[in-house]
Amino acid sequence: MSLAFLHAHDCSEPHTDSVWGVAWTATDSVISISADGSLKQWDSTSGQALHTLPPHTLGLVSLDVDPAGKQALYNSLEGLTCLLDVDSGRVVGRYESYARSGNDAAEPAWSVSLNPKGGTYAATGGSGSVSIHSAESATFGERRATLTSGRSKFGMYCKHSPDGTRVAMSSEAGQIYIFDLESEKLLSTYTSHAMTIRSLAWSPDAQLLISASEDKRLTLHDVRYSPSGKPGSGAVATFTGHSSWVLSTDISPDSRLALSGSSDKTIKVWDIGARAAVSTIQDTGEVWSVSWRPRPPQHGSPGAFVSGGEDGVVRWWRGAGAG
Amino acid sequence: MRYKMNFDILEDDDWTGQVRDVKDPFDPQASGHDILMLDLDDDELAAMNSENDAMFEDLVGENASQADPMQDDFDQIDPVAGLENIAIGFFEQLSTAFPDAEYHSHRKRERNPISISLVDRTKTAKEDGASTMKTVSFPQNTKRGSSRSTAQVLRIIDLMHEALHEEVPITKRDMYYRDVSLFKTQSIVNKYVDDLAATIGVGRGDLNVRASSKGLFSGAGLTIHLHSGETLYGNDSESTLIPVADDIEKFEMRDGLSWVLIVEKEAVFQTLARLSFSKHPCLPGHGIIITGKGYPDIATRQLVCTLADNLPVIIPMIALVDGDAFGIDIMSVYKFGSSSMSHERETLTAPRLQWAGVFGSELAQFGVERDSMLALTKHDEKKARTLLSRPELPATWRRELQHMIFTRRKAEIEVLANAKPLVNDLGFIRPSSSNNQIVTPPVSLPSPENALTRYLVHKLSVAIAGRAAPTLV
Repeated sequence: MSLAFLHAHDCSEPHTDSVWGVAWTATDSVISISADGSLKQWDSTSGQALHTLPPHTLGLVSLDVDPAGKQALYNSLEGLTCLLDVDSGRVVGRYESYARSGNDAAEPAWSVSLNPKGGTYAATGGSGSVSIHSAESATFGERRATLTSGRSKFGMYCKHSPDGTRVAMSSEAGQIYIFDLESEKLLSTYTSHAMTIRSLAWSPDAQLLISASEDKRLTLHDVRYSPSGKPGSGAVATFTGHSSWVLSTDISPDSRLALSGSSDKTIKVWDIGARAAVSTIQDTGEVWSVSWRPRPPQHGSPGAFVSGGEDGVVRWWRGAGAG
Repeated sequence: MRYKMNFDILEDDDWTGQVRDVKDPFDPQASGHDILMLDLDDDELAAMNSENDAMFEDLVGENASQADPMQDDFDQIDPVAGLENIAIGFFEQLSTAFPDAEYHSHRKRERNPISISLVDRTKTAKEDGASTMKTVSFPQNTKRGSSRSTAQVLRIIDLMHEALHEEVPITKRDMYYRDVSLFKTQSIVNKYVDDLAATIGVGRGDLNVRASSKGLFSGAGLTIHLHSGETLYGNDSESTLIPVADDIEKFEMRDGLSWVLIVEKEAVFQTLARLSFSKHPCLPGHGIIITGKGYPDIATRQLVCTLADNLPVIIPMIALVDGDAFGIDIMSVYKFGSSSMSHERETLTAPRLQWAGVFGSELAQFGVERDSMLALTKHDEKKARTLLSRPELPATWRRELQHMIFTRRKAEIEVLANAKPLVNDLGFIRPSSSNNQIVTPPVSLPSPENALTRYLVHKLSVAIAGRAAPTLV
């Protein structure tokens, strides 16, 4: 089976450097962050810019939005973490994670993720642990907890599970760690890759986790968590086909399709159940970030997604009907 | 009928190949060895014993003569043979240790490590003239991997052998950069180079390992007249040491000088000199190549500054440094100066210097795969972040440093050597929209021999043609 995806349109004013993160929000706008230090918000139908924040001095490396599309969390290369109120376009929280506070050694944040239940966010850094911080305006950035993986490899990416109970982190060495937020314990470790895992994606029911790695593959994991403590079976499938690093991944809102962007300049769509690629889309540069439209597609349509890559352009793609 | 145990690996006390009487010949466990029971008569037994003795002599005797530098006073020690003997000795041990594929040794203690014997330079020679030896064993029970030390020694032997064979001198620093992930630290290379030299019984220089010295230049276009009356003539295929500015009376440039190239690493400089790159036919005119061997000393910076101040503006001066934070920092020293010498900035900086590469972001165009780039170390990252925090950092530098931190890879010049050799008519890689590269054979102009020269010809051509390339800052 193969699906066709068509290029719908591009953003109206490209970023001046690579797009390092995109997120399609529940209110059908798209937020993009770039190496040029800017965050832009776009209308998905037209590609017109809605808001553009004044650019930061250094690039923005991580972006996450809440399920309602009201708040966007982003982090810069040197570790300045900010919270944006999407509707007004105002920054409502700022935290300098690189600044020394008390006795703690400064560890700049790298990848950040908002807790879908609100109130906190998670951040990874160089020491291989996940720190939990307040996401409330008044106390933004205050450290609440530190979850350690036991290893000190660079934490490349972190993402909360959609139900807000767990957070997954991937490391430069290829491990995935899943922590339980309530107990602050490490639940499971997966070593499905031997090279850096650049991105993770949860399925909406928090039962599946896909990892995207520099070893050119994606791995599908069963991460079901039962209260009795027995974790899911782990790696269940590998998606191969990219000829270079896989940079980004996302799972569709109906859990059927996975998306991957690669430095081989293509985007691939995978049928999760069939464990096979159903579409390969040629882009013009390395595809750093991909994001499905969160609204479940109409019956018969494979859905729509947005991508951002090396050339600074945010692109919208839509499925061409049932394949 | 006597039974002999044929030891596939000889234990410490069995170097002489003695026959051990076995209490119960049918119980292999009695002596604790895996035993291959042979049915031999006395003649065959004696033959086997002498065979073992000869093998022992070969191994130990060979090392013994290498270990004694006093032995071959009147014979010229052939350094190449010395290197080869050590390596061959190791491989012989390896092959006798595992003569057949089915050999398994269940007990750790009976697996004798295979070893390379090196002179222990920290101990003085014994009374009989023989030196104390230390051994590098395989396998080793260390955290770093059982074969690492042996691999390091063999790699150094390989590099020295190549240096002698190719007649291209190599420095210890150069060796380290050839395989950073194997050696881990410079001091390991230093140690083993001197150990091997002592073991073979020659000086380090006889192994074609040169000591690093100060800045060098090459190119027949530059002649330096010193106050002392001496004249230093630049040479297209050899290097000339850069003298201190105070000693220099005047410079002389030959007509037709069209470019100046500064390279970070001496190894790259020597490669270019060997290829007479300063008079490369693909370039419109001859040029001068300079290296400061890493962070440049004052003399090198003075030369670059003087050239920058006096050469006509149409002559580009470009720098080729590693695409890592240190390369960029070195560029910055040439161009903007160092904090320690800021009081002498006017005579030491060359603001017109342009950064031509290596850029991590463009390597894909030159056929280099991401995976062949080195991983960023914590040290690199810290340096890169420090550079990024500098005010007034040029935009291209910022972009490259960010790209480096985001991909967690750095682009060293050596990685160009791994580039896929696809060229189009002028020796460039033409990026194509699909992943299938289009190859067209060279037309009229001779194509540069290897990836490094191809890359530099491209960069210099672009610089000379008008300095409008967006990659140059």
